[in-house]
Amino acid sequence: MGTRAVILASLLVACLAQACDGNVLFSSLSRTLVVEASPTAGQVLKSGEDKIKVTWSFNGTHSGKDTDYKTVKVKLCYAPVSQKDRGWRKTVDNLKKDKTCPHLIVARPYSSSAPNNSFEWTVTKDIPKATYFIRVYAINASANEVGYGQTTNKNKTTNLFEVDAITGRHTSLDIASVCFSAFSVLSLAGFFIGEKRRAKKSSPPHM
Amino acid sequence: MKDAYTTKGKSTLVLCHFFLPFSLEFVWCTLNFKHGHTMGPPDSVAIPPAKFSMPVDSEHKATEFRLFSIAKPHMRAFHLSWISFFSCFVSSFAAPPLIPIIRDDLNLTATDIGNAGIASVSGAVFARVAMGTACDLFGPRLASASLILLTAPAVYFTSIASSPISFLLVRFFTGFSLATFVSTQFWMSSMFSANVVGTANGLSGGWGNLGGGATQLIMPLVFAVIRDVGAVKFTAWRIAFIIPALFQTMTAFAVILFGQDLPDGNFQKLHKDGDKPKDDFSKVFYHGVSNYRGWILALTYGYCFGVELTVDNIIAEYFYDRFDLKLHTAGIIAATFGLANLFSRPFGGLLSDVVAKRFGMRGRLWTLWTVQTIGGILCVILGRVESLGSSIAVMVAFSIFCQAACGLTFGVVPFVSRRSLGVISGMTGGGGNVGAVVTQLIFFKGSKYSKETGITLMGIMIICCTLSICLIHFPQWGGMFSGPTSNKDFSEEDYYLSEWSSHEKDRGFHHGSLKFADNSRSGRGKRSVASTTPAACTSPIHPSLASDSL
Repeated sequence: MGTRAVILASLLVACLAQACDGNVLFSSLSRTLVVEASPTAGQVLKSGEDKIKVTWSFNGTHSGKDTDYKTVKVKLCYAPVSQKDRGWRKTVDNLKKDKTCPHLIVARPYSSSAPNNSFEWTVTKDIPKATYFIRVYAINASANEVGYGQTTNKNKTTNLFEVDAITGRHTSLDIASVCFSAFSVLSLAGFFIGEKRRAKKSSPPHM
Repeated sequence: MKDAYTTKGKSTLVLCHFFLPFSLEFVWCTLNFKHGHTMGPPDSVAIPPAKFSMPVDSEHKATEFRLFSIAKPHMRAFHLSWISFFSCFVSSFAAPPLIPIIRDDLNLTATDIGNAGIASVSGAVFARVAMGTACDLFGPRLASASLILLTAPAVYFTSIASSPISFLLVRFFTGFSLATFVSTQFWMSSMFSANVVGTANGLSGGWGNLGGGATQLIMPLVFAVIRDVGAVKFTAWRIAFIIPALFQTMTAFAVILFGQDLPDGNFQKLHKDGDKPKDDFSKVFYHGVSNYRGWILALTYGYCFGVELTVDNIIAEYFYDRFDLKLHTAGIIAATFGLANLFSRPFGGLLSDVVAKRFGMRGRLWTLWTVQTIGGILCVILGRVESLGSSIAVMVAFSIFCQAACGLTFGVVPFVSRRSLGVISGMTGGGGNVGAVVTQLIFFKGSKYSKETGITLMGIMIICCTLSICLIHFPQWGGMFSGPTSNKDFSEEDYYLSEWSSHEKDRGFHHGSLKFADNSRSGRGKRSVASTTPAACTSPIHPSLASDSL
């Protein structure tokens, strides 16, 4: 009984310590930023070519203050449809383990007014083909998230856009693959013919 | 994405995996050098002395194993076979370490990845049986080189895969190359005598399987180099696949140009010269599949090698998810499992030979059962431990026992049949892949069981299936719980010649089996060697064998 209490107590302490130790839970954050992005709902962007412009500002109607916001991180996040059956993009409440928003667009010092509250970004070529929304985190001096804003609603169903990724294939690569494959098969045929000829030459046919 | 490996971690790994096997091999080679001639079967008087650079028996199979030699034909065959098999493993498991990039490029779901993993090991199920027959008919050199060159296109085409379906197809066809395992074991069984065949099979199989671990280190490195040179991520992984494909092609060329089927020459030439009668496919196949021991070994191999393939496919993801490791850390731990093959599988083969010296075939069977069952127990424990450190420790121990059991299995396989050696090797090898497919389907597909529970259940299944070894009985040597058939005074010749009809014996087709039976007398163990009469060793068979032309 005593040991069980000790174990429970230490678990509780560990959980609290985690929360203090920078393990911020997303559910504890308030939506204090208003975020706007240039892609319209359902738009398909080409990676490597198209641009996204993100603008963020502090939500005046919110009761809190933005005095402890030091930096903002603008991130490209997966919509639920692109997370389905893909455990590596799972949404977890603990932001340290959360994999919803792996792509960082930009991180810069916090400013709520123009011109420093917007950024234009060309979709890079390593962004995979999926459905996305944009989220901006406000971060305090101890590198913990203290607020956020996003372009979609709470359930992440509205105002989503898509990215059409590059395939990574090149014509030269295609040709090289086909040529090497043909070479393998043809060289095998060549060896077989060579073997038969050599065997015929070394031992004359039996009568 | 950063792919950084600490050089300290890598060098520690290399030290651990190289120190142990070389010391083992040094001890073994020294022992063999001193005692080789007295322990092996007597040399036939008919052999011209300078023909081979190593001591051989009456079938011209080497009775010693010299790891650092590339002497023609025995040791050269060994090095060619393990390197070509290694390249096939590298190609077949080249995708798993790069999955995080590939899954984004091809928009794969977890189901797609799981299906591709199952496909990669299922192709070889039938390919291994077919390969066994091909070896019996055409010889291991041409059979393996053909398979390797015919599957190389699948690896090249991985570079141009563009959808989940094409990805599954390339993994499926690349996996066919795992059938070279059978040709490797067949080749070793044709080149090395009974007293060292376990070691030869264990080393060639183990160092080939090493490819499954090495690739988890090689592919991310090749990818990082290509990406740093300037290629985009989604192009860099495609270019990276050319490397294993080229390596595979080159090893096939080496096998054709420098290899030789048998100590006396190649199958085709021997067929033409009449030194080796061309056998009948249906008879070879029949004698293989009608031997119940082949089926039991196929089942038990499914629960050592099949388990090894399953773990190769799931272990990186298991550590990544359960302990929240970085991808390259999970990859290094995953590589450790496969890299243990450097010494653990050869150790199994060596252990089989060492035990056989004293206890013969019964010793081989008992050791196989013990080692594989301990592996099963460790697998159960692996699914139950909670911390990262103990998980790694249990996994390493599990890998050693699991892979040693694979080596021990192929210490028994060469003795099950002589005429249908290829078919038996193929059935056992194919059974290994069936085990991998069945295990992944039951325990590791979908979300029915968590990975930990799946691993524990897999361990229980290992223990249950391994019990079937108790049923194996050789009339001339006995089984785990029974001695040799005492009433008939059944000899090795009786067992191996029962595969030939009297019509075939009249035409002299059985002479190869006769020589093998004589050389396999070590299956009796030390106690019985003293009681073996000199007449059995220098029997009247020898003078007729000396006249080899039929």
